Amino acid sequence: MYNVAEISEEACVANKGCRLCIMYCPEANCILMNDEKKVAYVVESRCKGCELCVVVCNAAKHSAVAMVSR
Amino acid sequence: MGKEKIQINEEFWDIMPDDYKDLVTHSTYGKTDRGWKDVGSSTELIAEHSLCAGCPESIAFRHIMASIPAPEDTVMVGSTGCTSLVFPMVAVHNIHSLFGNQNAVATGLKRALNVRFPDKTKDVIVLAGDGATVDIGLDMTLQSWFRGEKFTTICFDNELYANTGGQESGLMQKGFVAKMAPVGKKFEKVRLPEIARESGCAYVAVLTTSKPSLVEKVVRQAVLIAREIGPTYLQIYTPCILEIGKQSMEGLQEMRDAESAGERFKFREYVTPEAQAFIDEVAAKKKAEKLASTSN
Ligand SMILES: Cc1ncc(C[n+]2csc(CCOP(=O)(O)OP(=O)(O)O)c2C)c(N)n1
Ligand code: SF4
Ligand code: SF4
Ligand code: SF4
Ligand SMILES: [Mg+2]
Repeated sequence: MYNVAEISEEACVANKGCRLCIMYCPEANCILMNDEKKVAYVVESRCKGCELCVVVCNAAKHSAVAMVSR
Repeated sequence: MGKEKIQINEEFWDIMPDDYKDLVTHSTYGKTDRGWKDVGSSTELIAEHSLCAGCPESIAFRHIMASIPAPEDTVMVGSTGCTSLVFPMVAVHNIHSLFGNQNAVATGLKRALNVRFPDKTKDVIVLAGDGATVDIGLDMTLQSWFRGEKFTTICFDNELYANTGGQESGLMQKGFVAKMAPVGKKFEKVRLPEIARESGCAYVAVLTTSKPSLVEKVVRQAVLIAREIGPTYLQIYTPCILEIGKQSMEGLQEMRDAESAGERFKFREYVTPEAQAFIDEVAAKKKAEKLASTSN
């Protein structure tokens, strides 16, 4: 079992310019923008499960990221 | 200049790894206004590496790779330590030097590049840990500054030797107890930024990687000043969460705490008058260009 981050398309406010998780994720090319839907998404194979994205998204009161096990 | 350097011969396109193809099609080589805002919608110049989950060194690496002004004409010099686990995954030419030798290697490299490419601008950037910069490599670090060598030195200051399990470093705080330094440090954190200022650096900045826009600003300044004026030095707090007993998601808060008023990583910079005049000139030129493009 491995913990990875998952972003809720409904809750993510990247369309309003939020990039917090993308800025602070320690892994490169791991959280990307879906330019069509204007939401952020996680490339699971690159996620190390550190939960920093959850912390920054929650601190901004968007609560759009959850950890899920795979 | 720019992307043409990394183009793939059409014959080989089908056998190249996807990550490389992404670099060719979606990265920011050659983009003169590249910066941290590109991350998320372009391919970064750094790929999967083996640093610990949540390591702030990786955050700093991402911010720096997004900010260097001309990656296609940059050579980086690394040294042993956790950062050396990342360099094989960096899409900019780089040299791994023997622990501590990085500023000597960078000196030779920069001089050779000037001879080999007299008509081109080539940037050299050293990126090494505090052990490499301040302890074992201090001689090489200082001598390069005394000689006025024109390249940028970036120190990832995690205040100990992380890669070897937590030994004391010159940049460790007084009194700190690490796994392999159980007695506690007996003397003060070496004031390398001030030493750098007195040793000939034209530009010095101390920061954390909690604000990518600030990292971008200082990295660009440091590289441009090193091109024109003289040595530059950046000291960035990249706490080793593993060795200071933090959880993987606590690195950002640790950096924010360490940069608050009166703390050791409160942002500070030292700029020589010559470097300041140069920064002002660059800013004025940019402003004029912007005005010209909006009035057209
Ligand atoms: C010449 C030499 N001496 C010692 C070592 C052992 N060594 C490897 S990494 C390291 C410490 C690295 O500390 P630092 O530069 O602070 O980087 P960090 O791992 O903390 O990022 C040491 C002493 C070595 N590899 N080569
Ligand atoms: S921090 Fe949250 S709201 Fe902002 S882009 Fe990331 S997932 Fe979306
Ligand atoms: S859990 Fe960590 S590695 Fe995974 S997406 Fe979030 S910040 Fe990135
Ligand atoms: S040991 Fe420390 S500095 Fe090295 S990768 Fe792990 S958290 Fe980062
Ligand atoms: Mg260190």
